[in-house]
Amino acid sequence: MNAQQAPKVTKETKNKIRVDFERTPLLQRIKAKYLSLNFLTNVVWAVFRFVLLIGIAYVILYPFFSKISGSFMSMDDFVDVTVKLIPKYPTLDTYAQIITKNGYFSALFNTLILSVLCGLVQTFICCIIGYGLAKFKFKGSKLIFALVILTMVVPHKTLQLSMFMHFKYFDILGIFNFLGGGVFEGFKILNFSSINLLNSYWPLALLSLGGLAFKNGLYIFMMRQFFRGVPDELEESAYIDGSGVFRTFIQIILPLSIPMMITIFLFSFSWQWTDNFYSTVFFTGTGIKLLPSIVKIPKGLDTVYAGQQLYESAIRNTCGLLIIAPLVVVYLFCQRYLIQGIERSGIVG
Amino acid sequence: MNKQANLYDDIYDKKNIGKKKSRGASLDKRKARAGYVFVLPFIISFIIIYLPIIIDSITYSFNEIKIIPGGGYYLEFVGLQNYQEAFFEDPHFVQTLTSGIQQLIFDIPAIVIFSLFMAVLLNQKMIGRAAFRAIFFIPVILSTGIVESIDSQNNAFMNYMNSEDAIETGASTGGVTQIISAVDFENLFENMKVGTELVDYVINLINNIYNIINRSGVQMLIFLAGLQSISPAIYESCEIDGASAWETFWKITLPMVSPMILVNTVYTVIDSFTSESNSVMTYIQSVYTQNDVLSGAMSWVYFLLVILIIGIVAGVLGTFVFYQKRD
Repeated sequence: MNAQQAPKVTKETKNKIRVDFERTPLLQRIKAKYLSLNFLTNVVWAVFRFVLLIGIAYVILYPFFSKISGSFMSMDDFVDVTVKLIPKYPTLDTYAQIITKNGYFSALFNTLILSVLCGLVQTFICCIIGYGLAKFKFKGSKLIFALVILTMVVPHKTLQLSMFMHFKYFDILGIFNFLGGGVFEGFKILNFSSINLLNSYWPLALLSLGGLAFKNGLYIFMMRQFFRGVPDELEESAYIDGSGVFRTFIQIILPLSIPMMITIFLFSFSWQWTDNFYSTVFFTGTGIKLLPSIVKIPKGLDTVYAGQQLYESAIRNTCGLLIIAPLVVVYLFCQRYLIQGIERSGIVG
Repeated sequence: MNKQANLYDDIYDKKNIGKKKSRGASLDKRKARAGYVFVLPFIISFIIIYLPIIIDSITYSFNEIKIIPGGGYYLEFVGLQNYQEAFFEDPHFVQTLTSGIQQLIFDIPAIVIFSLFMAVLLNQKMIGRAAFRAIFFIPVILSTGIVESIDSQNNAFMNYMNSEDAIETGASTGGVTQIISAVDFENLFENMKVGTELVDYVINLINNIYNIINRSGVQMLIFLAGLQSISPAIYESCEIDGASAWETFWKITLPMVSPMILVNTVYTVIDSFTSESNSVMTYIQSVYTQNDVLSGAMSWVYFLLVILIIGIVAGVLGTFVFYQKRD
């Protein structure tokens, strides 16, 4: 390459000059750009990456496609060997039966109430607790944080039985028992007078109110990390202007943390929606019906034939599809917040 | 900075010694009080709800519950009988436990490495990144709880039937039950002189890919957030110094996300030992319907073992974690 010549400078007008660089010819530039090893590796990598991502996306999406196609199949399709993914005798019967016979809409409505309630309460409570743990130094704050982590680590399934018992014979530190005149006899408790909270929204509402419900430890942790990233100066300037702690929280901190709260709400709402652990422990069948209870074979479709097992699992899958259908809509609208929220949380700490 | 603040506090306190406190508490004290108010919901409900539940759960595992027909119940202390039953009398428990924990130990590295890899991929600039991200986080929201349990119900049946055409009719859930057969893979590895254990492990992984992808959603999110927090200036200076992408990954990306690796490993352990698809949990669940106290004892044994695993993993990984010094 010859040494770069000084650019030609011409004066156009009084305030304007024009600089002409001597550019390399186009062909050479293209050669340098596209015929290098670097470019080749980049292309190969991009193609490889694209294929890999498509492949994994396929693995994720395929079950959903196959479930959707299975949900439109009629009974004959399951014994027909030639049917692959596209049903020969498409029918909406499966959907119709599940919706009418299994009480889909009432279950949907109940779950909607429960999930919105739990989602909102959990989001707000975890926000408060996370803020308290992140921004205030007080005696025992580390202990409380350790306890939060503990609630996250102990799986609620380990506590299944005692949770069931606790809410079946609900009592606050024996106060109700005392007022109702419960009689103790050694280890035996006779005349139990307590409130049965099962089959109501109360157990989950109480757990949510205390930040103890499903994965709330994770939410509190995320919230804490997020608030630790919020600069202290923001609050200090509010304090100097004469705002109290709570007013500062409501007027300055809460509006800031809305994206993060949407993330938490999305998590808590959808995990409560698809939850089948609490809904089976706390809702024992009578009374309120939630979505997990619709997963069963409707009477009209209960027949005995060669493809019965396949057919039944397809029906169960259809139930699953009906359950997650509203969630898909929510996900489509909120998914961008998911990454944003986690990014901002600086969970990295 | 903290030290400095304390110093100021000390000086402030010393100045105040002579004076009488005219106005209530200092700002710090008032702030501390406010802090208590913020965490109050947690403290109250922890004492009222969580603590009794935990204590009950432990006591139940040493007792037998007798339900009084008229309502209420009483406990009969039986000591370690439940644990004895779990270990020595139940024919399947120990077996399920060992195989389950083995599975857990095999799955964790796979999930963590996979999610790190995917996060690195999804962090790069390319066409359709937003769409790919949206697809990859679908399992986090949709494939949990009910859907997972329906899947495992159907899978149990599928394993029983083991029929090929079942996959295509949409009744199967995993979709991709067998991507490669063991024979193909052994042929490939025959000349490489690696042990059969490794081959088996890899085959297992690839055939379990659906499961692994499903379980690595949150981890991917956390890694992605971690990757995004690495300052681009570091990468830039690496590029100027002539480091290749490969070197940059090992020398920069990996140390910088190493705290995330620790967090994710612990999260994966917690998440997978409570998940629906876990064989031990499924077994404990099935015991629960027959003998609830026994299942309680079993889950405490399981829980303690997992805590032990978490402790070991965290201890070992903790020594390798690199924390960037922040001011």
